[in-house]
Amino acid sequence: MRIETLLFKEIIILPELFLGISLVYLVLHSTFLAVRKNYPLIQTSILYLGVLVLFLSCLLVLNDGLDVLEQSVLNDTIVNDYVSFFSKLVIGSLSLFCLLMIQPYLINQKINQFEYILLILFAVLGLFLLCSSNDLLTAYLAIELQSLAFYVLASFKRNSTYSVDAGIKYFILGAFSSSLFLFGSSLLYGVTGTINFEEFKDLYVNVSPGNNADLSNISLVQFGLVFILISLLFKLAIAPFHTWAPDVYEGSPSASTFFFAVVPKLAIFVLLLRIFYYSFFGFFESWRYFIVIVIVLSIIVGSFGGIEQRKLKSLLVYSSISHMGYALIAFSAGTFESIQMLFCYLVVYSFSGLCVWSIFVLTRLKNNHLQKQNKDLTDLVSLGKSNYMLAIFFTTVLFSVAGFPPMIGFLVKISVFLTAIESSMFFVVLISILCSVIGTFYYIRLIKILYFEKVLVGKLYYPIQAQSSILISFLFFSFLFLFINPTLLYLFSYKLNLLVFTTV
Amino acid sequence: MIINILFYLFSVILLLSSLMVILVQNSIYSILFLVLSFISSAGLLFLLKCEFLALMFIVIYVGAIAVLFLFVVMMLDLKTVNVKKDVLKYFPFGVIIGGVFLIEILMVVGETFKANPYSDSFLYNSHFNWYERMDTFTEIHSIGQVVYTEYVLQFLIAGNVLLLATIAAVVLTINTGVESDKKQVIFRQLSRNYKNVLII
Repeated sequence: MRIETLLFKEIIILPELFLGISLVYLVLHSTFLAVRKNYPLIQTSILYLGVLVLFLSCLLVLNDGLDVLEQSVLNDTIVNDYVSFFSKLVIGSLSLFCLLMIQPYLINQKINQFEYILLILFAVLGLFLLCSSNDLLTAYLAIELQSLAFYVLASFKRNSTYSVDAGIKYFILGAFSSSLFLFGSSLLYGVTGTINFEEFKDLYVNVSPGNNADLSNISLVQFGLVFILISLLFKLAIAPFHTWAPDVYEGSPSASTFFFAVVPKLAIFVLLLRIFYYSFFGFFESWRYFIVIVIVLSIIVGSFGGIEQRKLKSLLVYSSISHMGYALIAFSAGTFESIQMLFCYLVVYSFSGLCVWSIFVLTRLKNNHLQKQNKDLTDLVSLGKSNYMLAIFFTTVLFSVAGFPPMIGFLVKISVFLTAIESSMFFVVLISILCSVIGTFYYIRLIKILYFEKVLVGKLYYPIQAQSSILISFLFFSFLFLFINPTLLYLFSYKLNLLVFTTV
Repeated sequence: MIINILFYLFSVILLLSSLMVILVQNSIYSILFLVLSFISSAGLLFLLKCEFLALMFIVIYVGAIAVLFLFVVMMLDLKTVNVKKDVLKYFPFGVIIGGVFLIEILMVVGETFKANPYSDSFLYNSHFNWYERMDTFTEIHSIGQVVYTEYVLQFLIAGNVLLLATIAAVVLTINTGVESDKKQVIFRQLSRNYKNVLII
């Protein structure tokens, strides 16, 4: 038997296969370990095993190399192109950091169940599959896999009423939006007889709703597309469909909120891109008006809703709502640079979200209530004196999220606005720039609380572990590097955008 | 003809019973209507000649899930709550939204599905007998052939979803004895008063 018979490179879904199989092994391993020894403290070992598995699957993704530009396997249900490669890498590394950052939280909150790590790995598996799915069935199954994991992550603290409440809310609304997705895809299947994105593209490549009167089923296709769009916007928590987000994000344990506020947005945008750019680009003008209303609503809600908030978590939720609105601006522009800017914006958003949430998880107040993890804004008062470096880092990230000039957040935000202006969406850009100024208020208020609050006694925090502080300083320096040299990000996303448009 | 009549009969039963599931106050009745809607949708599947799927529908949904629901409802001893006030409050809003959606759907469907799309073309009244041109499998045979070959990845993902659901059910219910779960201590519950009660 020669070694060529086992060319692993030719198995396209090798990272997903590896992740799935090692998940089964992890279940067996940790079940025997936990149950036979009467529940020892295994959270650290399981967490490192999870980190190892994730790291190896990231390596496998990297190892793929992409000798050909695009390759679909398994009856065209899985496509492996640069978009899926890039987004899988980003998602994998984000969840790697996420796992490492939540370790002190797990130990502190006495979450000793090994299932927590397993659920996160399941969600990552679902996101990987979502990134490379090429038909509606696979996409639906992948969405179900990741969101089922998220429901359980939200309700993981069983002895907290808030957590159970958040889990139930998330479950019901997620099931509702999944049913909308199914309804839309069944309409599409009923009209076209296929669920494959490639075949949709072949069917509708020269069709647009206005000028083809002989195809009478165009309006039904539009109907199905609207349902799919609404369900995906539900998953992204964009403004008319956002009402579940503050409750769920605030109620669930902080580590879970960390995970599902930062990681899954990119994968859902990849699915949106595949459906609305790759398959149905001819329908662009028909859903653009709809999406412009959604953008304006979500930016207004995100900017004005955040002003009222006193809890840090719900502030971050509203900030994420408005940021998803900005990302949708890039999505709806439809020019050559818009996809590049969309990916840049999403990567920078996830990265700064990672920084903010890791500071949120790592700063642990010295108070009498061990279980209290939800921070008010005033819990961060005079962090600038008690932990100087952390406060500087937090300020930098907040400036970047708000979009202050020298930071990377400013660069991507202004490029998003520029692409929108290029495709003549002046009114949307005007409203979003005004709302962005309003939204800056609550980031600035946070910075004011960090440094300039006139109190005699500040809050005290437990010291941060060495490992986490090394990671945080690594994040800080890579943040600074991005804003000194943003070309790296732009280069990757430019290549990606070229590939998206050449395959259309 | 008879198939059309049966189709309309089952669909009307399905629509009405699924409407009744959310309208009825008593939860036992609501579950019984749910069973009725499952059975009528199984009837629809029978009309489409998917006998295996229809039987699985009855076995799984009626035989397992609805019975479990019934047990849970009987054990929970729910009181029927009068929600008539809320119905009156939300009625106009819901009617407007639902009416707009219904009219939209009807317009689109009426535009799309004509009675016979070939009625004014030369293909009118010409047909193949497709039954002679197809291989004849039983349904379970063809499902197996497709699922294990073309859709093997989707089959595996569905298996993963089931594994995840099992793990989730275990983690939400297992009592490891490490943490204190929500348990009913009757003495504490009886000696509670309205002070220090957290209302969400």
